[in-house]
Amino acid sequence: MNLAEGVQTISFALLALMMIGAALGVVLLDNIVYSAFLLGGVFISISGLYLLLNADFVSAAQILIYVGAVNVLILFAIMLVNKREDFSPVPRRWIRKGGAALVSVGLFALLGTMVVQTPWVIPANLPATTSTLIILGEHFFSDYLLPFELASVLLLMALVGAVVLARREYVLDDEASVGEMPQLPLQLPERPKEPVALSGTSAPSR
Amino acid sequence: MLKFLNKIGDYAKETLQSARYIGQGLSVTFDHMQRRPITVQYPYEKLIPSERFRGRIHFEFDKCISCEVCVRVCPINLPVVDWEFNKELKKKQLRHYSIDFGVCIFCANCVEYCPTNCLSVTEEYELSTYDRHELNFDNVAMGRLPYKVTDDPMVTPIREFAYLPAGTLSGHDLPASAQRAGDRPEDVAKTLKTSSPEQSED
Amino acid sequence: MNSGIDLQQSVIEILSNLGLPPGVAKLVWLPLPMVLMLVTAVLGVFTGVWLERKISAAAQQRIGPEYIGPLGILAPAADGLKLLFKEDITPGNADAVLFTIGPALVVIPVFLSYLVVPFGQNMLISDLSIGVFLWIALSSIAPIGLLMSGYASNNKYSLLGGLRAAAQSISYEIPLALAVLAVVMMSNSLSTIDIVNQQSGYGILGWNVWRQPVGLLLFWIAALAECERLPFDLPEAEEEIVAGYQTEYSGMKFALFYIGSYVNLVLSALFVAILYFGGWGFPVPLEQVASLLGVSETNAVFQVVMAAIGIVTTLLKAYFFIFLAILLRWTVPRVRIDQLLDLGWKFLLPVGLANLLLTAGLKLTFPFAFGG
Ligand code: SF4
Ligand code: SF4
Repeated sequence: MNLAEGVQTISFALLALMMIGAALGVVLLDNIVYSAFLLGGVFISISGLYLLLNADFVSAAQILIYVGAVNVLILFAIMLVNKREDFSPVPRRWIRKGGAALVSVGLFALLGTMVVQTPWVIPANLPATTSTLIILGEHFFSDYLLPFELASVLLLMALVGAVVLARREYVLDDEASVGEMPQLPLQLPERPKEPVALSGTSAPSR
Repeated sequence: MLKFLNKIGDYAKETLQSARYIGQGLSVTFDHMQRRPITVQYPYEKLIPSERFRGRIHFEFDKCISCEVCVRVCPINLPVVDWEFNKELKKKQLRHYSIDFGVCIFCANCVEYCPTNCLSVTEEYELSTYDRHELNFDNVAMGRLPYKVTDDPMVTPIREFAYLPAGTLSGHDLPASAQRAGDRPEDVAKTLKTSSPEQSED
Repeated sequence: MNSGIDLQQSVIEILSNLGLPPGVAKLVWLPLPMVLMLVTAVLGVFTGVWLERKISAAAQQRIGPEYIGPLGILAPAADGLKLLFKEDITPGNADAVLFTIGPALVVIPVFLSYLVVPFGQNMLISDLSIGVFLWIALSSIAPIGLLMSGYASNNKYSLLGGLRAAAQSISYEIPLALAVLAVVMMSNSLSTIDIVNQQSGYGILGWNVWRQPVGLLLFWIAALAECERLPFDLPEAEEEIVAGYQTEYSGMKFALFYIGSYVNLVLSALFVAILYFGGWGFPVPLEQVASLLGVSETNAVFQVVMAAIGIVTTLLKAYFFIFLAILLRWTVPRVRIDQLLDLGWKFLLPVGLANLLLTAGLKLTFPFAFGG
């Protein structure tokens, strides 16, 4: 075992430990903020594993998208509504727990069979990949075109949804402005927006 | 569509204009960078205060007649005149005199009105202490004269604005021969002397 | 393109000649560039802080630090020393663990990004094929650190400050990435080395500024916002609000934020130099001049001189932009948070997309000039 392999093994062990520990923390910790931060740790460890698999672009994308966008979004959501309250016990909680366990076990079984069935033998004459980026691009625009486009449509839908949510509501009656001045495009009179979030809730605790 | 394009054009124009303004601002800042610093490196350089500078008040114990005019004219009745009546001499005798320079506003009203000219303003402005009560100067402390900036070997005196030639803003690197703008006080006094009889006749 | 000098090879060879086995020689080599880069980054911070003070002073007709070392060069060191000796306070009821990790999370990615900053053909730690993308990805970790430190301070103003800083940071990442994407499209590679090489050959005429003027502006504005420099420094806004997410920090933890912001500034300036101003390329194509004069490219002296010129040129370009940032600091007033987000989402983002489209079109039409 030479230097590179040793480093690789040790990093793999460290990353795997980090990932499993952080993931357990996400699930088991009571404090939801800790869970969110640990989720970021999980994502970073996964990107480290990608790096070990020579998938440098995927690992950077993992950091950019999951840590930089998804996790930050989750944190934003948690911090803006964080009320530090104890969870009230839900009646028949065991049904939910059982359901969750069933799904988890099923998922684990699926993944397990996948792991067992995949031939992990590395073909000896594997050509050295110079740039993963180019290979990725080629795949995106040939055999993975449909999933790629579907994903982009999904993102577009999310984008449109965000715009619809964030957009102010416009007063759309023509009578008001008839005879006055013609309404300019892109400049509609706005209806004042009432603060929705403040109604009914007590003051945040922190 | 045309309107929309027009709007975009207007927007672009405004953007360009604001970019121009930022550029102008940058050029102003850049221009300031090339000017000479106007700061005085304080402990090593000091400004020579002008003649009309109102600094710490100086007091001459022997001239004071304890009339308390200074107390009356002071906006905050600040000077403390501690006297007692001397029966033999039938005169007020001053025992202590003090002004708290932590409270004084250096308006020099007291100096202006003192009938015996025993008060005067000095050029001293370095009045920082660790305790504000140390600023309560008694007659001994007030009798001290400040050390002149021009005599201090550790300090480079810099001429203040009032001593600068017309058009100069900084006292650094001025030739000693550079005269201040306007007349010197002696000349002013001379012209006053010669012209005052005529004025009194008017 | 000649490869210039290869420090790694020569150092390992020297070590092997001294009698070390090649594996050990490699092991000895490994930490060297990293330590060198750390030192470079810290020195960059020191120079940046010193320049900031001196240039700010000059713009305000002051003198600035003068007696701490010649021309006040040691002022940043004095700063650091002061922060080192200050008490490290953790506010009561604060989350001590998150409070400590937060600043580290802000600083470490910035230092890691120095991995891909080239000062010459072989003068970088690793020529990753994802190059600039690594920088963009790493800089997206910082908001988590900001949120963490804001949350852990047990102070609602810190929390709000952290949220604002994170919002600013993630919304300006997008125009930044778009501007970088346009450059990457022209050079057909994410690697910083390739980007610089694509600009070399014609001296100053080959630089990306001429092909990407809009991109440069976008990049610079977004980079200023990412570094929280003055027109966009509202997370900190020292005159108006307390320092946002940094409010509760003192001593070395505060110093981490401070260092992080300056390292980030230096890094951004370096990236401007690399992406738009030809990296280590001299304004005159020196290689051609050398071949005209008959100096061979494999000449050792020539290579050393070229490497030195490359480093100096990169640094000069970067520090020119730092100078510009400092000058901007005293020129432009601070924007409000809604103006900031407006600028980011409603101006920079569309302009960035249009720029990308334009670059793609130009690349298809003039493949020779826009890297077909
Ligand atoms: S006005 Fe002058 S003379 Fe009268 S008490 Fe004051 S200091 Fe003394
Ligand atoms: S200078 Fe003015 S404030 Fe001070 S003691 Fe004299 S009269 Fe009072």
